[in-house]
This record gives sequence, structure tokens and C-alpha cells, in this order.
Amino acid sequence: MKRISVAERANWRAYAEEVGFNFHTFDGEPYWDETAYYQFTLQQIENDLEAPTEELHQMVMDMVGDITRSEEMLTLLNIPRDYWSYVWNSWNKGEPHLYGRMDLVYNGFGPAKLLELNYDTPTSLFETGFFQWVWLEDQIKNGVLPEGADQFNSLHDKIEQAFAHLSLPQPFYFTSVRDNIEDRGTVNYLMDMAAQAGVDVRYIPLEDIGVIADKNGDNEQFVDLDDQPIKGLFKLYPWEFMVQEDFARAITAANTQMIEPAWKMLLSNKGILPLLWARYPNHPNLLPAFFETASSEPFGAGWVRKPLFSREGANVDLITANGEKMSAAGPYSDGRYIRQAFHALPKYRDEYRNADTYAMLGSWVVGDSAAGICIREDATLITKDSSRFLPHIILD
Amino acid sequence: MMKRSKKAALVLMVPVATLLLAGCGEEREQAMVFTDPSECSAAALNSAAQCEADYAAAQALHPQVAPKYLNKQECEVDFGAGNCETAPQQTTSGGSVFMPMMMGYLAGQMMNRGGANLQQPAAAGAGAGTNVPTQPLYKSRDDRATFRTATNTPVAGGIGPISLKPSQVKPQVGQVVRRGGFGAQAASRNSFGG
Repeated sequence: MKRISVAERANWRAYAEEVGFNFHTFDGEPYWDETAYYQFTLQQIENDLEAPTEELHQMVMDMVGDITRSEEMLTLLNIPRDYWSYVWNSWNKGEPHLYGRMDLVYNGFGPAKLLELNYDTPTSLFETGFFQWVWLEDQIKNGVLPEGADQFNSLHDKIEQAFAHLSLPQPFYFTSVRDNIEDRGTVNYLMDMAAQAGVDVRYIPLEDIGVIADKNGDNEQFVDLDDQPIKGLFKLYPWEFMVQEDFARAITAANTQMIEPAWKMLLSNKGILPLLWARYPNHPNLLPAFFETASSEPFGAGWVRKPLFSREGANVDLITANGEKMSAAGPYSDGRYIRQAFHALPKYRDEYRNADTYAMLGSWVVGDSAAGICIREDATLITKDSSRFLPHIILD
Repeated sequence: MMKRSKKAALVLMVPVATLLLAGCGEEREQAMVFTDPSECSAAALNSAAQCEADYAAAQALHPQVAPKYLNKQECEVDFGAGNCETAPQQTTSGGSVFMPMMMGYLAGQMMNRGGANLQQPAAAGAGAGTNVPTQPLYKSRDDRATFRTATNTPVAGGIGPISLKPSQVKPQVGQVVRRGGFGAQAASRNSFGG
């Protein structure tokens, strides 16, 4: 695993905007960054990333059924009691899932370590599946990279196949928060792949979804702006928010098939990390993790503290083995926390910016298959929503 | 074996020029259908210059609004053998996109202009002075007589003047054509993964 500086493609920004990648630069700071790429060997990809991703995925899938039946674990994960049977049902009916991303620390040697699972609303999908793929094709065409260069990135193929094989209600709706252009970009890309797979796709902003009830106020159903029932819905909006809001009660009454399904709320929760560690102690791809309780030892060197629910590094505190302290601010400070053993992200030299940079790896899962990776870089040890996205190649 | 996708094509996110359509009244308007500008000139409903301008505008719109296919066979199933061509906005992978050939065009009719003062060519989009969007027309394999818009709205059984409501023929970005085969396969499966 090497970091290699490379010239940017001419006019990539204009191209990005043409294909709807409107968030390539955020608040004047680069998000998509092609001033360098990471290079892996095929063995690193297959042995150290692809196989462990599928193994970790199977490990967590094996735990879902047990969690749905355990009052203790559901409580530890802060799943509201009103949703226990709904979650149990969604698992036992075999409601299908589409995709997820696990975040890993990996430096090219030794086992990759699982930092967390983003199994409900993972983003950076378009950047991985499409834009990074085009970058490689272009750089091969430009003669910048050799013909034999490849990429661990079958995301586009696998998601399109998944949409073709899932038995989704038609029309199938996609929703995201109205004014979030990054989320909208992710949803547009999913709709594009779904359309290519033959799905009748409709977009509705989250805020426009309605609920219709019968005259007794029962049998609530979600509806679109024409009051037509929404029978299938991809929601790029976290389950833990949905179950707290005004329409929460309608979720359990409505017969809307959700992607991701409700049981995914068990896996997009940092609480899965201590549960995994308890079930598979000393697994080479896991870091020690525990729930923080009143009797926990004082937070000390070599540990990271994360809220049960948080995204993009928000509200994470860490103390390195040397006692160096770091924190990321965020809006998720009201819940409970887990602690995870600190494992430093590998450090590289960013020649373009003449600065050190830390790299984190996202490993995608579609259905139950590993489907590629993405790399995020940050000037600090905590990867955040502002962290830059860099492409990668496989070359032996 | 390759570790990356065989293709990564976009069909809905691709750019399309915003079509400037004049306010769509529900009244019917006069329009014309022709295979080419010489037929149009011969009919003397519009000036030769206007005929050429409309044809050029329709040709320019054609690659944007034509229905798109990811392989040529599928396109020919709908439009007939030899009636499909490669679209210019190829997918990034070099995997081509196909579309039916333009078989004619629709343009608004300049009424009562008597050939005078028609030197100005029409801008792309709505024909000058009418609300009918100038656009390419197609013919499907199973109905060779009928001219259809890119969104499969039949507009005429032959060439010549017609009347229609402009809102019925509003051009849209050409989307990938959805086929029953995909749906049938999806319906036969209960779950994904395993």
C-alpha cells in the first residue's frame, strides 16, 4: 500500500459537474482529491481486505437474530421498546438489505481492524462506484497509468444486479433530506443504477412524504404528493432518527418495504462493536470494545470514545498511547458511549500539500459480497465529513 | 479476473440542455411533420430557410432526447434492424450507448407569413413564433407508418400539417428503456443475497 502523487486530469471539475457530482468541493475545500492515489497489490486486496470484509459481514449477520431476541442487547443498543417487534419481524420475514460500508484501519501489513459499521445510510457511494472508476479508466486512457492497473470496485455492477434481483414494489421511491446535495447525489446515483436494472424509480424529498389514515386514525400508510401509497422506499435517513420523529408510529402500521430494512438499525449502531468483541474476543480484525458505564475506568491513554449513534466522526474523543488528546465536535453528545481500543490510522506524506495525512479505508458490502473500497484522508487521526476522498489502484 | 465493474454508466444523471418551452396553452396549434427539409420546402408552409433551421434544431436535439439502450440488439427490437445508431454521449467505459435513428421531425407552422421576412432562422427548441417544440421523430418497428416523439407519443400517420397541443410533445431527456424481462425476473425471486 503506497501513496503516489499524480497529475490531476484536465477539466475534471467540469466533468464532475456534468455528471451531477456537485459536492466535489465543499466550502472551498477539496473533497474529491486526485492529486495522489493509493496503490495496493492484488494480494493485499484479496487477502487483507476482501476476505476479512466478507468474514466480518458474516459475523455480524450471524448476530442479528440473537440480538432481535435479546431484551438485554436491544436495551444496550438503545432500540426503543416500541420497535422491538417491528425489528424482529423485519429480520424474520427476511426483509432484504442492499448495501453497507465498514470502516477499516489498514496500512498494507497485518490484519485490517474494524473501526465501525455504516450499515444503514452509507454515503460516498457515487465517488466510489462511479467517479473513482472513471478516474482509473481516464488515467489508463491518458497513458498515466498502465493498462494492467485495476481497482477493487465492483460496486456499480453489484448494486445494479442487486436492484435487478430484489423483488421491490413498483414504483419504488427514493428519499433524502430535501436540501442536502451530498445525500441527493448518492440517491440520484442509486436511482440511476436502479433504473438501469428496470426499476420504476421515483424521488420524493423526505419532507414531502405524507401519511394517510382511515377515519378512525388507523391503518396509516405513507403516501406521495399525489396521495398514492409508497409501497417501497429507499431512505437515506437514519433509522434512529425515524423512530424518534412525528411519523414514528406510522412506520410500524404502514406496510412499506424499507431499504435498508429495520434490522439494519442494530448494525449501524456503535453498540455492535462491544457486542462483536464479546462474541468474538481477540478476533484479528476486531479491536477491543466495551460499553461505557458508571463503573468504567477513567477514560485514558490508548482509547477512543464514540457515541452509540454518530456519523462522520462527530463527537469522537481519543487519547493516543502517548497521551495525546483529540476531539471532534458534533451534534450527537446526548446519548450513551462505547469505548474502543485506539489503533492509529497509517500516516503518509502528502507531497502536494507538503503535510502529513492519515488514511482510512471504507470497504463496501452489497448484499453479502465485498464490493470495493474507498479511501478518505484527513490531516488528523479522526476522519470527518470534510475528509478528502482519494482514488486507488491495484497493480502488482 | 478484474476487480472493478465492467461498466459504470449513468443514464439519468447525464446532462441535458434545458429546453426553453414557451408557456404551454392547452389550445391546439398548427405544426408540421416532415422527413427532411426538402419535403418541407416543397410543401411551402414555411420558408426554405425556416425548414432548414427547424431540421437542424431537431437534429441537435436528437441525441439528447432519443431513447437510449445499452446494446444495439435491444434497440433494434424496438426500432427495427439497421435503424439504430451509436449515441454520441458514450458511456465512460467506452461501452457504447445506442439510440434509434431520427426518421423525421416536428416543427411549428408559421402561419400567414407568406414567405416574407422569414430570413431569421429559428433558435433550437421551440420553433420561432409557435409553442410547438421543434424535435426529432422516430418510427417503431411494429408501426412503420406512424411518427412518434422520443417519449413514444404518436403524432402523425404521415408527413404534412397537423394540429396538436404543445404540452403533449414536450421533449424530455432520453431514459434507458425498461423491459418486461427485468421485471419478470425480479418477480420470480423472493430475496436477494444468501
